[in-house]
Amino acid sequence: MSELLSVRDLTVSYGDLTIVDRVSFSLSAGEWLMVVGPNGAGKSTIVSAISGGAPHRGRVSVLGRSLTSYKPSALARVMGVLAQRHNVGYAFTVEEVVRLGRYCHRRGVFAGSTSQDEAAIERAVAMTGLEPIWRQSVLTLSGGELQRTFLAQLFAQDPQALILDEPTNHLDLAYQEQVFDLISQWLKEPGRAVLSVVHDLSLARAYGSSALLLDRGRSVGSGPVSDTLSRQRLSQVYEMDVYAWMERMLSQWQEVVTL
Amino acid sequence: MAHARQRRGERGLARWAGQLVFPALALVVMVVAVSLGSVSVPLGQTVEALWRAATGQPQPDRMIASIIVSTRLPRVICAALIGAGLSVGGAAMQGLLKNPLADGSTLGVSGGAALGAVVAIAFGLTLPGLPFGSVMVMAMVFAFLSLVIIMGLAYRLDNSLSTNTIILLGVIFSMFVSSIVSLLITFSDDKIHSITFWLMGSLAGANLNQALALAGVLAVGATAIVACGRELNAFAVGEDNARQVGIDVRRIKVVVLVSVSALIGVCVAVGGSIAFVGLVTPHMVRLLVGPNHRRLLPASLFGGAAFLMLADLVARTVLSPRELPIGVVTSFIGAIFFLTIFWRARKGV
Amino acid sequence: MRQRLGAWLALVLFATTALAGCGDSSKDPTTAPSDSAGITLTDMMGQTVTLSGPAQKVVSLTASDVEILYAIGAGDTVVGRGEFCDYPAEVLQVPAVQSGNDTNIEQIIALDPDLVVMGTMAQSQEQSDQLRQAGIAVLATDADDIASTYQAIELLGQATGRPSQAQAVVDQMRTTFADLSAQASARASQPKPTIYYEISPLEYGLWAAGRGTFMDEVGQLLQLDNIFGDLEGWAEVSQEQVLERQPDYILTVAMYFGEGPTPIESILSRQGWEQVPAVADDAILNLQQDELSRPGPRLAAGAQLLYDFVYGA
Repeated sequence: MSELLSVRDLTVSYGDLTIVDRVSFSLSAGEWLMVVGPNGAGKSTIVSAISGGAPHRGRVSVLGRSLTSYKPSALARVMGVLAQRHNVGYAFTVEEVVRLGRYCHRRGVFAGSTSQDEAAIERAVAMTGLEPIWRQSVLTLSGGELQRTFLAQLFAQDPQALILDEPTNHLDLAYQEQVFDLISQWLKEPGRAVLSVVHDLSLARAYGSSALLLDRGRSVGSGPVSDTLSRQRLSQVYEMDVYAWMERMLSQWQEVVTL
Repeated sequence: MAHARQRRGERGLARWAGQLVFPALALVVMVVAVSLGSVSVPLGQTVEALWRAATGQPQPDRMIASIIVSTRLPRVICAALIGAGLSVGGAAMQGLLKNPLADGSTLGVSGGAALGAVVAIAFGLTLPGLPFGSVMVMAMVFAFLSLVIIMGLAYRLDNSLSTNTIILLGVIFSMFVSSIVSLLITFSDDKIHSITFWLMGSLAGANLNQALALAGVLAVGATAIVACGRELNAFAVGEDNARQVGIDVRRIKVVVLVSVSALIGVCVAVGGSIAFVGLVTPHMVRLLVGPNHRRLLPASLFGGAAFLMLADLVARTVLSPRELPIGVVTSFIGAIFFLTIFWRARKGV
Repeated sequence: MRQRLGAWLALVLFATTALAGCGDSSKDPTTAPSDSAGITLTDMMGQTVTLSGPAQKVVSLTASDVEILYAIGAGDTVVGRGEFCDYPAEVLQVPAVQSGNDTNIEQIIALDPDLVVMGTMAQSQEQSDQLRQAGIAVLATDADDIASTYQAIELLGQATGRPSQAQAVVDQMRTTFADLSAQASARASQPKPTIYYEISPLEYGLWAAGRGTFMDEVGQLLQLDNIFGDLEGWAEVSQEQVLERQPDYILTVAMYFGEGPTPIESILSRQGWEQVPAVADDAILNLQQDELSRPGPRLAAGAQLLYDFVYGA
């Protein structure tokens, strides 16, 4: 398995306040790494550090090269980021937003779109089912449609790794399922990997292949999902018996089924 | 999908036709603006005077020739170039900051440029061989510094650059700059007339040399901005999105801000602070061609030229033989437009 | 020409000083009997001004009033001047106070004047009320034509105890105007020569003096036809209109600061103006010292300059 992303001793601090403290992990092809932890654990900060936003210390390498040595467009061809929320200012069409995903593949300032561009866009549209709203203004879309639009942009961008920051946090259940199914479908192609920050531990277990558990900025454990999210560790980090809670929640539905 | 592609083709054709509307409009307005004026000259004589001037033939009526060729034409050309520069600059700012109310005048950049020009006049700065050069250069430099200050403060205060932050900072900065202008006026007794008259601003003295300076800066600045169409689309969707699709966010900001400063600087140096042009035109144009900057920027360029030529035509003719300052006309239209946009943005209509 | 005029002036001066003793106070509403030492006047706003005697310490906020005070020999009474009062040169030695909107009442009171002279254009009623409350007499002048300029001169003459000197200045002005007018009538071509009065140069937007301005009034006396006689007061005009109206003469009052082309050079070099008769004949006069814009004694000198320029000295 080739390593797409490697993070060593990542530290992010604002003044005296250390948000992320010497966290290390790596992401390899075929892997879906779930970054989990309670509120304030530093999950989103890790995403913004590796996607180039927040200033940080430590070593982040992408395909064996230092993150900072990448030109923005070269980085975008390897790694794509989906934000939690989108607040578009103008009435762009779904098409215009999705087409922006091809930016990192363009050849010149005034170069038109290539057949490769069109093929990538068609694949992205087909996957996300945006055809019916292709010409619609993004200002008129529901939260789920908007998230699918930006997911299609990401698919059109065609990076090797997706970085997702709580992609379904504010979405209805149907959209949650839709988005996670889309991503696992995308992951089936060889050489791809996904890193996502999730709040919902069930989602982490259901879709993740590995996990990174954080507590107040520190890494508590990483590795295969089932090992990392063990009963003991979760109880320690969340200060409650998470397993018992999940079972109780599930039992609500089993009663319904047995009736 | 094949169906979709076909639809895309038709739309593409319609959009290309749409792209020709604005240059055609600017051309028609230019013809009208040159043929109408304070002194009425029959169209036939206007055309003849222009034709003879272009072909270097002697003019039968020297008075008409001087009115049309030496006075009206350079003024119309300067109005067109200033309108184009301010509008494409406004459109670029509105995209870059993802804020429909951003513009040289609302951000205080025009005020900064005016301060630069006043400094050049007050301290008697001159560039050898270029009588008005120092005023232009100082206006451009101060426009850039103003943008850096305003944006630096805006990002620190409110990373999402909300309308309130931007507008409030613009108002504060404008007041600050105008207080410095007043201070300079107080301390420069001998230049007081030059400064106050310059601040009043006028296209009345527009000449071909100024048109050349405008055309030169516009050729470089507007090309640089139009070339950033895709990147500005991404910024208009959101700066984070721009970063994520692989845009060199810092480089684009520098390119756009330097170009916008140069455009606003040279326009202010020639025509004074003509408010609201950079706000009104991109809005009207956006209603017609949509928010895509690859169409919006060229359309704003030509739409702005048409708008300012029309505003100048009104200023020149409505009270003939008197003249109105052109800023009165643009501010009147602009204030109404500004209110409408603000209202709709606030009410979410 | 000059000699003849000088002779005329001497004759008129003699006649007026001789007549001054007789006076014709009955036709002048501003004069009040001054049997005691006190002086009571009605100023040009209709306000009654009472002085215990001829004013000894005067603060004058308006440039034209300062000029009048010096012309009638009351220059030594001026203890303060408005910041824009710049003529004659010796007035620059006098302490300046802020005027217009920025008038600082405390500055004026500190100079301890017994009379403040102000113009009604720049100063407000509140400002004069404040001064009156401080026990300082306030006299307002409001000259908008030659006749009211005479009135202002006479008023200041009475306030400073120099009515005869004031009368002499007025009579000298009257004579000059009458003389120039008579000569101009004899020499002016028909139709009358046309003139364009330029207030602000092209770079800042053309402003012209229309009807009701001192330039226009003096020009009419000199048989000159203002090309913008159809406009009231100062107005921003279209360049095209100047080109179409083809003035024979141009009078510009633009200032020159010693850099770049002079106002005359800049008019001569304007694109498209070469076919204007005044430009073609180089018939442009530049008056930089407000000779024809201040309602003071120098209006007559300005008229002389304009006459000499148009009809030859």
